[in-house]
Amino acid sequence: MSSSSDWEVVIGLEVHVQLHTRAKVFASSSWGFGQEPNEQVDPVVLGLPGTLPVVNHEAVEKSILFGLVVGAEIPAHCAWDRKNYFYPDNPKNYQLTQKDFPVVIGGSVEIELPGPSRNVMGEHKHVRIHHAHLEEDVGKLSHAGSGSLVDYNRAGVPLLEIVTEPDLRSSAEAEAFLRALVAMLTQAGVADCDMEKGQLRCDCNVSIRHPGAPLGTRTETKNLNSISSVRDTVIFETARQIRELEAGRTITQETRGWNADLGRGYVLRDKEDAHDYRYFPDPDIPTLELSRATVERLAKQVPENLFDRQRRYMDTLGLPFTAASVLVAHRELAEWFELSVAAHPANPQGIANLVANDLLRDLSAAGSTTGFDEAAPAPVSLSSCPIKPAQLAGLVKLTDEGVISKQQAKEVFAEMFKSGQDAAAIVDAKGLRQNSDTGELEKIIQEVIADPAVAKSIAEYRAGNEKAINALKGPIMKRTQGKANPGLIDQLLRKALG
Amino acid sequence: MAEGFDIDHLAKLARLSLTPEEKALYSSQLNSIIGHFQALAQADLPTTIDDARVVRESALRSDVPGPSLGAEAVTRIAPASRDGQISVPRVVDDEA
Amino acid sequence: MAEVLHTLSAAELGRRLAAGTLTSRALCAALIARYDVLNDKVGAFTHLDRADVLAQADASDARRQAGQGRGPLEGIPVAIKDNIAVQGQPLTCSSKMLASLVSPYDSHVAERLRAAGVILYGRLNMDEFAMGSSTENSAVRKTFNPWDLTRIPGGSSGGSAAALAAGLVPLSLGSDTGGSIRQPASHCGVVGLKPTYGLVSRFGLVAFASSLDQIGPMARSVEDCELLLAALASADARDMTCFGSDERTLTAAGEAKKLRIGIPKGFLGKGVAPEVAAAVNAAIEFYRAQGCAISEVELPSADLAVPTYYVVATAEASSNLGRYDGVRYGHRSAQASTPVEMMTNSRSEGFGPEVKRRILLGTFVLSAGYADAYYNRALRARAKIRSEYLAALSQVDVLLTPTVPTPAFKVGEKASDPLQLYLEDIFTIPANLAGLPALSVPCGQSGHLPVGFHLVGAPLSEAKLLAAGRLFEAAHGFAHQQSTL
Repeated sequence: MSSSSDWEVVIGLEVHVQLHTRAKVFASSSWGFGQEPNEQVDPVVLGLPGTLPVVNHEAVEKSILFGLVVGAEIPAHCAWDRKNYFYPDNPKNYQLTQKDFPVVIGGSVEIELPGPSRNVMGEHKHVRIHHAHLEEDVGKLSHAGSGSLVDYNRAGVPLLEIVTEPDLRSSAEAEAFLRALVAMLTQAGVADCDMEKGQLRCDCNVSIRHPGAPLGTRTETKNLNSISSVRDTVIFETARQIRELEAGRTITQETRGWNADLGRGYVLRDKEDAHDYRYFPDPDIPTLELSRATVERLAKQVPENLFDRQRRYMDTLGLPFTAASVLVAHRELAEWFELSVAAHPANPQGIANLVANDLLRDLSAAGSTTGFDEAAPAPVSLSSCPIKPAQLAGLVKLTDEGVISKQQAKEVFAEMFKSGQDAAAIVDAKGLRQNSDTGELEKIIQEVIADPAVAKSIAEYRAGNEKAINALKGPIMKRTQGKANPGLIDQLLRKALG
Repeated sequence: MAEGFDIDHLAKLARLSLTPEEKALYSSQLNSIIGHFQALAQADLPTTIDDARVVRESALRSDVPGPSLGAEAVTRIAPASRDGQISVPRVVDDEA
Repeated sequence: MAEVLHTLSAAELGRRLAAGTLTSRALCAALIARYDVLNDKVGAFTHLDRADVLAQADASDARRQAGQGRGPLEGIPVAIKDNIAVQGQPLTCSSKMLASLVSPYDSHVAERLRAAGVILYGRLNMDEFAMGSSTENSAVRKTFNPWDLTRIPGGSSGGSAAALAAGLVPLSLGSDTGGSIRQPASHCGVVGLKPTYGLVSRFGLVAFASSLDQIGPMARSVEDCELLLAALASADARDMTCFGSDERTLTAAGEAKKLRIGIPKGFLGKGVAPEVAAAVNAAIEFYRAQGCAISEVELPSADLAVPTYYVVATAEASSNLGRYDGVRYGHRSAQASTPVEMMTNSRSEGFGPEVKRRILLGTFVLSAGYADAYYNRALRARAKIRSEYLAALSQVDVLLTPTVPTPAFKVGEKASDPLQLYLEDIFTIPANLAGLPALSVPCGQSGHLPVGFHLVGAPLSEAKLLAAGRLFEAAHGFAHQQSTL
């Protein structure tokens, strides 16, 4: 984005992600979207007198796994603190969080910016993670007439708060960061990140400065629940702050909200004592040792980084950027693709083409993808895919061998997706085998050349008009019931014409 | 007066409202108690806290959902409720 | 027979129940009858569900008939301090804030007692939210010392101690954060044990100060106390600070006569009343005569204990009591046009003065700009105190002091000076700060008022404490003593 004078925007994000667990982080009740209010509440969630928190093992493991995915340090110990404040959605009027000894320290996320055009890979950059900590979510408030209503189903859900360093420099970078983060979280099974279900929320810190100057005063816009609202907030807030500074005013450090309908930010009422949280170590949860054995075991679950995979596809398999980029966005799809390539290593581009276009399209139509934030890729489920990787490989092999044309391959693929049959069986059933009998074709070619109807085209071709040759191909294909191998026809025809 | 002891500020933080008599009485009582804390201010203390309590992952709970109270029980205990949710006076600000 | 039942020990009652010469129903009926005569005077109980008690008693007798008795506590009533959750029973903590709360769940100790066949018998009065040393801070009623009804029974487990001293129940549960089991035990001439921190689960104990609170057994003899402790101490996955028990911890074993006893230097000079000093010195002489080695130990940071405790305990309390806001349960004010107003008014109406004072103090010591000077320093002081006690307890087996400097004072005598009261916790507080087990055993009188001495041991040394206590009570007449009510 351009600015009128020499301004640099500095952005840091705090991303709250609901982790993929069955039970809550400090209580054992289940959680999940779509339940009747207050049906997922037990005495610990409600904060009944005498109840105590017990940390969920899986929530800790998912947090460690995240740390390993981003190459962070997993410390030898972590601990929980109380953040004390009164609010109706906060059952104990303190939130259990990690202030001093979080479970993940450091790390970085590689991001990819949009290229100059769709087919060209954009620039890559690394965004540093400051830390990530494991805390509990709060209940949900809704407003009804002269009162408000509280549903505690969400209270106690495990939240991993991921805090970046202020390394982002544009709305495009912020968007790219969130896409990459979501891909990494979902591909590692750490979180589902379904933003429509509120599983990922973002606080966005924005400040402005002249390049090389110290950091400016930042504002924080809270509770952004889509990638597009983060992008729009950055754009809005950057423009607002520039306007303020250029008018000679100063930026107030404030907490803001975003109105997506109006497309504007606004100041949240500034509560006087809102910031004295009186943090202290939670005396109910002892310091937790994070064993190296656990870290080593979880390290084996870290999937290949999607951009490493993308580079591998482009460099080693020769895939174009567009296909590689589509494949790596879905871990299951990429793994399926690799199995298919293993069955027929000679033509990865051919396989990629079918997987990234035809297979993905047909899976979406069949409902094997769940749509969520419009800017982030939907997860793909291949468990019910009618075609096996080796079968697709078989189809591409037939094409490579000239048994069928690429055009015919599309038709065969559609049939494979419907019936789950092997390509060869379908080709035979439909009698699609291309005619590659050189002798027979030469005979047909001679017959066609001899026809006076094409004499003009032959003359034009011999005079240098390349395209004229196509006029002869139609009649040849017709005489072979469309089954002639087009490549072979072209070759033999040119030979015959001289 | 103990340095920094502002009873109005503390009452607000703690969501307590005090009558003028209470403010006067508690201020004086608490100030004398805090005065007694001077021994703490002057003591020569170790710099680190030796936290004897460290647990291993075996102390953590496995990720198996347990029983819930049920919305009926939750709303029965609550002072006011509507349609399965707990009702409170209208919340004005939207800060989380 | 009924006239005598209330004087019997739990151990003896257990024997008679097992022998079939007594039924639980008869026992409970006798105690209920005594309750009807005495509770208005003593005020130990705030609630007793007679029908429920008798139903439990009948179920116990039926189990025994079917040969399914659950052990030495089968059919024996245990009264419960009103901050320990029992499903279906009130959980008021003697506060207006929770006046209407009926617990929907059982504490770990309630589950353990049920599994032992115990009759869960009524709810005992206490200082509101366990904050106090006289039970005068109860919002429900007053409790009086059965030895002198013009005096306080101690606190915060005043009801637990008074019920024993008045023969209203053979066993009771209390909770102890700075001395709340031991001090009332001493004032009422009974036995009270605060276990090692982490031995007994706090799941279901309404939290006052999480790193200091423990539930503990109270009885009229060390033997009975031991019986009750065995039922309570067990691992509980619902409390991360509870590590459960060890057979060796609980059985009073070892040669008590070989115990090395340490007397902290200067402790007997700390405002201790002459008659208290005399009774405690007599106890020391008794142990010496038995062959125990008596020595003086240095605890240089002793003067830091009270300030450290009041910073840490009130800080944790201010946070633990944050949940009481009228939203989800408990008292909700009718004056409530905004949530802030509703919470503020509910809390102001629901809490008594001592609770408010401690919340304000705790908020102060944690507040921005002051946490370092107070709370963080207190944590460091606590570590220092703990290491001094552990060092001393590596040289001796137990430390011996009075439990309280002075005997039970008159009702209302110390109501206006909270600091005065705080300073009397000088002997009991360090055991909470250091997480150590501690026992109060009656050892004499100051006039007509009971006096107790106090033993502290290394972590998980309950066996040594109980052995020392047993040795003393076997040679003296204080076990099973009751007031003349």
